[in-house]
Amino acid sequence: MNDFWSTCLARLQGELPAQQFNTWIKNLTCEHGPDDDPAPRVVVPNRFILQWVRERYLQKFQEYAKEYYGKPVNLTLGLLEAPKSAAAPAAGIQKTPPPVAAAPAAPASNTPTPRSAAAVLPPSAYEKTRLNPDFTFDTLVTGRANDLARAAAFQVATNPGTSYNPLFVYGGVGLGKTHLIHALGNAVFRHNPDMVIRYVHAEDYYADVVRAFQQKSFDVFKRYYRSLDLLLIDDIQFFNNKNRTQEEFFHAFNALTEAKKQIIITCDTYPKDVTGLEDRLISRFDWGLTVQIEPPELEMRVAILKNKAEADAIHLNDDVAFLIAKNLRSNVRELEGALKKVLAFARFHNREITLDLAKEALKDLLGAHNRQLTLEHIQKTVADYYKIKVADMHSKKRTRAIARPRQIAMWLAKELTPFSYPAIGDAFGNRDHTTVLHACRTVADLRLQDAQLNHDLHVLTQVLRG
Amino acid sequence: MRQIPLDIRPAPVADFANFVPGANAELVERLCHLATPLAFDALYIWGELGSGRSHLLQATAAAAGRPVTAWRGAEVGEDLPLPPGGLLIVDEVDRLSPEGQIALFRAFNTARLVGLALLMAGDAPPLHLALREDLRTRIGQALIYQVQPLSDEEKAETLARHARARGMRLEPEVITYLLRHGRRDLGSLFAVLEELDEQTLIRKRSASVALVKEILAGREETAGSP
Repeated sequence: MNDFWSTCLARLQGELPAQQFNTWIKNLTCEHGPDDDPAPRVVVPNRFILQWVRERYLQKFQEYAKEYYGKPVNLTLGLLEAPKSAAAPAAGIQKTPPPVAAAPAAPASNTPTPRSAAAVLPPSAYEKTRLNPDFTFDTLVTGRANDLARAAAFQVATNPGTSYNPLFVYGGVGLGKTHLIHALGNAVFRHNPDMVIRYVHAEDYYADVVRAFQQKSFDVFKRYYRSLDLLLIDDIQFFNNKNRTQEEFFHAFNALTEAKKQIIITCDTYPKDVTGLEDRLISRFDWGLTVQIEPPELEMRVAILKNKAEADAIHLNDDVAFLIAKNLRSNVRELEGALKKVLAFARFHNREITLDLAKEALKDLLGAHNRQLTLEHIQKTVADYYKIKVADMHSKKRTRAIARPRQIAMWLAKELTPFSYPAIGDAFGNRDHTTVLHACRTVADLRLQDAQLNHDLHVLTQVLRG
Repeated sequence: MRQIPLDIRPAPVADFANFVPGANAELVERLCHLATPLAFDALYIWGELGSGRSHLLQATAAAAGRPVTAWRGAEVGEDLPLPPGGLLIVDEVDRLSPEGQIALFRAFNTARLVGLALLMAGDAPPLHLALREDLRTRIGQALIYQVQPLSDEEKAETLARHARARGMRLEPEVITYLLRHGRRDLGSLFAVLEELDEQTLIRKRSASVALVKEILAGREETAGSP
């Protein structure tokens, strides 16, 4: 092992969490080109790791190389030398990768352009999947909100095409549907690198249909999508009223399921509630398993934040994580945005991440979110939904038709606003905080048994988040 | 006799050098970083009209050592060119049409694959943007900065810098007067400065408090006239 690489490994071991270091870095090696080109080349065992390392660590390697050699050095990443079939090396160090699975070419214009020096290699089988290597089951935080969906995805990843087909994942915006199906795709790729996998956003699928139509290349289009072993299609609600796209997808769906190829679909709502989709398509979505991802509860939001910070080799104190998680409830994306803000603020001011620093960094953001929802707005929305009077939210009436919506409104107030239980009680006709507590527990229990109530809560939550 | 000035003044350049950062130092540093080819972040900045949002976007574009494509929200149609390894700038995202919103949504999804950095600006924090929810939350996932308004001292410094860049001599008492008596958003201040520059040439007078008074009075009259 050369000196540069030993130094680099020692530094990374000190900086990264042990799990990250052992998984991604420890087994890499480093070699040098001929004497007239001493640039180091970090060798990785496969393309999955290549992509991961390139996106997360290459810049760090380059910085260390610059410091070690005292000048900028053209450090590159490369694959472990393939057996004989590999073509002649270029420039002493670059190797052509082994040929990839022989699948029909993907519709061309969407092919991503590689972005770094190491990516001069042609797109690999992994790159053609369009999967994001950051999204794995390991990096997915699990809680009550997504454990069923995760279990289903995990099972499908273990037995693609034979367990649940299609797997239909639905839930609100920014709750981790995309992460889950990328994790599924990555797990399948890891265990079956020969499988032809493709992640596609419904909008891109639509663009492919349009392109095939314009270029009269429907044969290529059909051949490609029917050649897949695993198709992951995101945000199917984008097919709304796109008849030709639905037609093509309908046929692709039939061909793939008949051939026992796996299809994964995500959507922002339950299949029967998707507007503008043909009935024959909706009925097929029911063939497999439909699972919901719900908004993460507080503990899960905290875990998500800590997990994301750890991925950046940063330790986040519980109090800071709680501050962010308590104030940003709507979705994981905005949670991540807030975390980024805190980390950037701390880095810029070269200060430790403390509760005070987090409050300072998020001053504007928290202010903006706390203005988000009023209790009156929640009461009115729930009253409208159940067609009762807003005044009933404050009244003493205890009939089920009124008491239940009132309890739901209290639960929503607790979930979606930072108001205390006493404050919520006051707003609901000066009720005691124990009444609010009881309402929240009742609704939390009932939703586990009552699918209709669960659905109502889902819809109301989405409506209130605007 | 009045002098008629030739229209050969240098076009005002928006760069980081003529932006007084004030409380925006962290934002300016992030933008400088975004201009470098290895940064693949998404950044969203928002602030009131005249807070310097557009100036900062132009300055980032000018400093970028990578392909840049810049758009105003209302101009974005179905297709948004995404230069690989480049920087996509969209100002006024609050004015994106439904098609433009889908185009930006797709840019978010493609950014990772083509090594694209995104810089967006709007008039409100992501929470209050009236955009499709899937786009709004993606913007909310970006690193978000509010462009902090400059203090009066910083505005004074900004005005002095702009005046210098135009070759004007501007005494401190003129700036003080302007800040005490005129509208104090940067857009209005620059507009008065430009008029002052023009009037000093036309009337062959120095940029005095008296001339500023006349200009402000004239602007009030124009604003008050039906």
